[in-house]
Amino acid sequence: MNLPDYQFISAPLWLVTLLHVLTLSLHFMAMNFLLGGVLITLISSARKRWDDATAVKFARLFPAATAATVTLGVAPLLFLQLVYPRQVYAAAIVSGWFWLGVVAAVIVAYYALYRASFAGQRTGTAGKAVLLLALAGLLYVSLVYSSVFSMAERPALVRDLYAKDPSGLVWNPALGDYAWRWLHMLLGAVTVGGFFIGLLGRGDSVVFATGKSFFAIGMAAAAVTGAGYLMSLQSSLPTLMQSPAMMALMASIVLSVVSLHFFFRKNFWASGVMLFLSVMGMVFVRHTVRLLRLAGEFDPASWRVAPQWSPFAMFLVCFVVMLAVLAWMLRMFFGAKKDVA
Amino acid sequence: MSYPFWDVPVGYGVLMAVLAVFHVFVSHFAIGGGLYLVVTERLARRAGDTARLEFLEKLSKFFVLVTLVAGALTGVGIWFIIGLISPTATEALIHNYVWGWATEWTFFVVEIAAAMIYFYGWKTMTPRAHMAVGWIYFVFAWLSLFIINGIVTFMLTPGRWLETGEFWDGFFNPTFWPSLVLRTGVCVMLAGLYALLVASRGAAGESRDRTVRWSAGWGVAGLAVTALCQCWYWKAIPAEVTAKAVAAMPTPVHSVEISVWLAAGIGAALVVFGLLAPKRLSFGVAALLMALGLAWFGAFEWFRESIRKPYILAGYIYGNGTEVANTERYKKEGYLAQIAFKTGDDGADLFRHACRSCHTLDGYKPLKPAFDGTDRAFIAAIVRATHLLRGNMPPFLGTAAEAEKIAGYLARRTDRRPMAEIHKLEGVELGRKAYAIRCGGCHVIGGMRDVSKSFEGQSAEDLNNMLNSAADMGEGMPAYTGDAAERKTLVSFLQTLGKGGNK
Repeated sequence: MNLPDYQFISAPLWLVTLLHVLTLSLHFMAMNFLLGGVLITLISSARKRWDDATAVKFARLFPAATAATVTLGVAPLLFLQLVYPRQVYAAAIVSGWFWLGVVAAVIVAYYALYRASFAGQRTGTAGKAVLLLALAGLLYVSLVYSSVFSMAERPALVRDLYAKDPSGLVWNPALGDYAWRWLHMLLGAVTVGGFFIGLLGRGDSVVFATGKSFFAIGMAAAAVTGAGYLMSLQSSLPTLMQSPAMMALMASIVLSVVSLHFFFRKNFWASGVMLFLSVMGMVFVRHTVRLLRLAGEFDPASWRVAPQWSPFAMFLVCFVVMLAVLAWMLRMFFGAKKDVA
Repeated sequence: MSYPFWDVPVGYGVLMAVLAVFHVFVSHFAIGGGLYLVVTERLARRAGDTARLEFLEKLSKFFVLVTLVAGALTGVGIWFIIGLISPTATEALIHNYVWGWATEWTFFVVEIAAAMIYFYGWKTMTPRAHMAVGWIYFVFAWLSLFIINGIVTFMLTPGRWLETGEFWDGFFNPTFWPSLVLRTGVCVMLAGLYALLVASRGAAGESRDRTVRWSAGWGVAGLAVTALCQCWYWKAIPAEVTAKAVAAMPTPVHSVEISVWLAAGIGAALVVFGLLAPKRLSFGVAALLMALGLAWFGAFEWFRESIRKPYILAGYIYGNGTEVANTERYKKEGYLAQIAFKTGDDGADLFRHACRSCHTLDGYKPLKPAFDGTDRAFIAAIVRATHLLRGNMPPFLGTAAEAEKIAGYLARRTDRRPMAEIHKLEGVELGRKAYAIRCGGCHVIGGMRDVSKSFEGQSAEDLNNMLNSAADMGEGMPAYTGDAAERKTLVSFLQTLGKGGNK
């Protein structure tokens, strides 16, 4: 019997890439609010910039932010595995225990955030301790992701590491590959976290000022680490400079600055849209970097394309329904809250 | 073989089972619990039953904490772990069902958002809007099951997909509907069990008793649907698969037997402590019911996983990741030529890719005790004939030289002393042990390929002659390589078998 071949992708590559970039950008927005928000809340509380009531207000939002981060993280991981299974699984297997630890770390962080959220006004040292625990969990996840995904871009390194130790206890030793990348991501989270803190605390001058500071300082620091990340690309950098991704990078930088400008003027819609587009541009650059680093080893364009249009149509319809139902439910929820107020 | 092999000291089956069984136990409650919450809320609001509404609010907090965190994240965890332990099968599934999973993701997003809004909206939303969100939650959670059920059942019964490769042929496969109804029944049953756990902590009184009876009713109803569907499900599995399981695979058969006893236990406890004497439902009893429910689900999932053997994707990819479509290539070029990630030790690499997915050396399904007291030639013969062993193992499709390398790897790690010394046995008991190790893998006394009767009336000399020519007796038969002492006791044992004894 001629068995079906599974070596194909079921939609044109550009469509899968578009969905990957879009959903990953959405995931980053939620994740940045979560990671940056927890970090800012802890720093502001420790420096006595805020009273406990403000910390409680944000702590109550973090479980929802975690839920959004997790759910929005599923889709980009799916599309990534569709196109780069050989690279991603191989790297994940080499660091198998660390990779699996991500699930445990998120569960711990999630429960810690619920604990802080339910603690309410009783949030004191204990509340901060659970927030710290959550932060540690989130930082672990970010480090593992940076380590594994950058390792996935170096198949030769994966082969070498596996040959030495197949136990799944190998941490990516090529620190230069991902240290800048991780720092850039972390400071990007502080930037976006600053935006959300300012947005949600816009009625309180102290909180807004805090958000503003973190937004601006985070952006400046992220720019510096971003430059460091570009330099760390070494031989891939000249090719990147000549690719369309460079335009996307420039546009993203401009959009970030414009976003900051609108934020200072308290035009949050414009600022938010610019910020999201900026993140999307960065994700596209990130995608291009992956292609460049994999050049010679793997080209995603080599996939046989065998579209499954009817299942895709099912997804598309359900995606639209999802947006409509979400909008309706949020309107019901926030409308009701206003009525109660 | 395109991937590295994650060489962990734990059995893959155990690793997967721990995460998956916990996940399905929570995720099915996530669906049934949603229905329970909204239906009960509607009835409570109609009756103006504030005590019941307070109970539901409490239950919904428990529900959110259990399902949104542990349930959702262990689901993600399954993704993580299957990529580590079965990357080839995961890749095949994703390539075929990416739009199924993407669709399921849209349901997942709505499900999570609805659960949070439902929980946080108790005090702020209108009853009508609140219940509407509850219904949205349940519908999308069930739709999520609908999609995942299509992919999970495809793994056991891919149906016409093996010929057409069409998405829908694989999705609506022979076990799709029985599994969907069965799992819906499980959802309802688990909703009852979880609600009983929360209700058992409530203050004694008429309200608590009503809640306990109502929740036990859900448990009984769900259990009834589940029990009926288990028969339907069994019948939907191709007859050759179930016949093979009954004949040669103890694990799925025992799992079914255990699940029947556990279901009976759950049913009895629900009727006694839920319907007849709700006052007697203590937290301990409710917790025991939960444990029974978890054990039942574990037994069912163990059955589903084990009856699929030797495949991970039936008819398509074997449990060790070798691909049916590549059979001729493996036979011609061998496994080593296909292994993309090597450690420099061919025997170890071959062992990992051919055996290690299911067997450890001395932990889960250990091979060391299976080969202790034997030798390289015997092990190599067994490796070449894995498809004949009980338990429905994948065939070894590599070259003879590769089988030798695996045998060499294993032989270096097994106990080379005589069996008598290793097991401290003598006489017929040593013969029984030798039979179990050298013959029992293929010839099960009272079971698969039982050859006991053929020893009837045979003299020791006849049996010795038979052992001398064992390698010529048919496909997969290894040469007898035991020492004289072991041979003598084995012959004695074979004679007792011929007399109908020692069963």
